[in-house]
Amino acid sequence: MKPKFTRREWLAATLATSGGAAVLAGCGKSLPMAPSTVSIVRAPAYDPRIYETMRRILEDHRVDVRGRSVVLKPNLVEFEPGSSINTHPLLVHAAWEAFQARGASSVRIAEGPGHRRNTLDLADAAGYFEVIPHFEDLFVDLNLDDVTRVRPSRQFSRLEKLYLPNTALDADLLVSMPKMKTHHWTGATLAMKNLFGVVPGGVYGWPKNPLHWAGIEECIADLHAAFPRQFAIVDGIVGMEGDGPIQGVPKPVGVLVAGHDPVAVDATCCRIMHIDPYKIGYLRLAAGDADSHILEQNIRQTGENIADVATPFALPHAL
Amino acid sequence: MFPDLSMPPGLSASIDTLLSKQNQDGGWPYRSPNASCSPNASRSPTARVRGRSWTEPTAYAVLALLAAGETGAARKGLGWILSAKRPDGGWPPQIGIDESTWVTALVALLPPEQLGSSVHARAIAWLLATCGEESSFGYRLRQWLLGSRRLAGQQSPGWPWVPGAAAWVGPTSIAILALDKENRRKPSPEIQKRIESGRQFLLGRMCGEGGWNHGSLRGAGYETRPYPETTGMALAALRGVVSPKVDRALAVARSFLDECRSADALNWLRLGLLAHGQLPEGFCPAAPVAYRTLPETSLALLVAGGQRGREFFWG
Repeated sequence: MKPKFTRREWLAATLATSGGAAVLAGCGKSLPMAPSTVSIVRAPAYDPRIYETMRRILEDHRVDVRGRSVVLKPNLVEFEPGSSINTHPLLVHAAWEAFQARGASSVRIAEGPGHRRNTLDLADAAGYFEVIPHFEDLFVDLNLDDVTRVRPSRQFSRLEKLYLPNTALDADLLVSMPKMKTHHWTGATLAMKNLFGVVPGGVYGWPKNPLHWAGIEECIADLHAAFPRQFAIVDGIVGMEGDGPIQGVPKPVGVLVAGHDPVAVDATCCRIMHIDPYKIGYLRLAAGDADSHILEQNIRQTGENIADVATPFALPHAL
Repeated sequence: MFPDLSMPPGLSASIDTLLSKQNQDGGWPYRSPNASCSPNASRSPTARVRGRSWTEPTAYAVLALLAAGETGAARKGLGWILSAKRPDGGWPPQIGIDESTWVTALVALLPPEQLGSSVHARAIAWLLATCGEESSFGYRLRQWLLGSRRLAGQQSPGWPWVPGAAAWVGPTSIAILALDKENRRKPSPEIQKRIESGRQFLLGRMCGEGGWNHGSLRGAGYETRPYPETTGMALAALRGVVSPKVDRALAVARSFLDECRSADALNWLRLGLLAHGQLPEGFCPAAPVAYRTLPETSLALLVAGGQRGREFFWG
C-alpha cells in the first residue's frame, strides 16, 4: 500500500504555510507566526552543476518524499527560439533526479499549457524530449487528464467549483517550477500563478478563459488553496522582464529560489525583482492578513541574502 | 474539385489503432495507456496516461470510423455520445462534468441519421443559442451603462469554449463547420446569419501578419503571432470566403506547411488549405510526424482518407 502523509504531518505542513497562518489570523487572535523557510541559491548557468545544486536544495529543506508521489509542474507556455518563456528542461530533469534520489515512489512531470493544444509538440520544441530521457513516458498532459470536481478550502473567486486533474490532486507533493517572470496582467508570474497550468483545458478551453472572467487574482488564490501539499522551485537563472510572460526580454539573475510555502517564495522573488510583493494582488489575497508570510520578518531566509542577488526587473504596465 | 490524396501507408494501421483503443463503454480517451496513437512509434508500459472516455476524441473517432466504413465500432461510439447528452441539448467534455461546452459542435458534425434527427436538431439549437459572453445582451448593457469601450468582434459573435466566457478562434471555427454543414443539408436564414457573423469574428481576429492564434490580437499588450493549427481551423471554417485577408492567411498556412512537425497542426493545415483548393498536389510532410493523441489519428484519417472523409466536415 502506498504510504501517505499522516494527518499530523499535514496539519504541521499546513500550519507552516500561509493558508494555515491565515486561518489562525482569521480567528482574530494574535498568534506568533512560525517563519517560513525560503532558500536563495546561486546557479549561474544551465549546466550540469544544477544537478548538485538541486540535491542540495532538497536536502536543506529536508524534503521527505520517501515512498511518496511527486509531480513536477514546470511552466510551458509558448516556444520562441532564444526566449526565456519556459522553465528550462535541464532544471526539470535535475529536480526529477533529485526527488528520485530522495526515495520518491514516483516522480512525474505535468503541465497544461494555456494557449497551445498540442502540449507534447510544445514540449518537444522547448527541448524537453532532448534533455529528459523517456520524457513522454514521464509526462502527463494536465489539459487532457481525468478530472475531479473540488471546492477549494478557501474560496476567493466566484467559481463555486473547480474541475482539477487527478494527477495533480493525487500527488503527495506538487512541485511548482515556474520561471521568474514579470506578467502583463498580474505583475509577476511565479510559483502561485504557475498553478494556472494545472487547470484542464479539456474542461475550460484554450485559453482557460472562464478563470479570467472569474478574476485572475482570485482564481490564483483559489488554486493555491486547492493544493495544500506544495513545494516551489523558481527558475531565476534566466528570468524575463518587461512585457512578460511571453514577449519580455531575458533577464539573467543566476538564482534558484525554493521553499515549502509558495506565498513566501513568491514574496522573496518579488523582492529579488525589486517588486513590492504587496502590489501583487494574488499574494495579498492568499496571505490573507497583514501579518503573513509576505512579510520579510516572517520568512527565514537561507542561502544568499536578497540584497546580494536582487536586480531590478523592467516592469510591465500592470505595476 | 479537391486533389485526391493518396492513402498514407499507416492508414489501415490507424483504423486498427482506433478500434483497439475504444473503451468498454464505447467512447475513446485522448490518449491510451501503453500504446502509441501512431502505428510506427513505441511507448513504454510505464507511460502515465489516463483512459477515461471524452466527448472530443469520441466524436472524431466516430467520424473517422464512419468514413472508413467501420460501422460496428462507430455505432458503439454513438451509444456513448448519446449517453453523455445533457438536458439542454448540448454535450459536456466528459460524462460527470455538469456543463455543455464547445464539444457540442463536434457532435453536431455527426450525420443526423446516425445521431438521431431530433438529438442533432437540439445540438444545432444549442449552438445557435450560444455566443461569446462579450456579445451577450447583458454584458453589452453593462458596458453601455459603465461607458466602457466596445471590444473587438463584439458585434460579430463567435463561440466560447465554455458558455459564460469570451469567444475564441478554435470553438468558433468548429461551430461554423457544424452549422455550415447543417445549412447545406437544410438551409436556414438563422443558421446562415450565425455563420456569417462567426466568419466576421474570425476575420476580425486574424493576426497582423495573417493567420490565427487562439484568438488574441494584442492579448498581453503585444502583437501576437499565428499558430499553424488554428490557422488551418479558421481557414476550414472560411471555406468559400474570398477576400485579401483569406489570401494572406493562405500564404501563412502554406509557409507553416513546410516547417510544421505537429500532427494536429498538419491535419488542420491540410484541411484548411483543401477547403480553398490550395493544398499542394501530392503533399507529404518533410519529416516524420508523431501522432500523439487519438483525435490526431482520427483527424488524419478524415483528412487523408479521400473525399468521403472530408465530406464529414462540409457535407
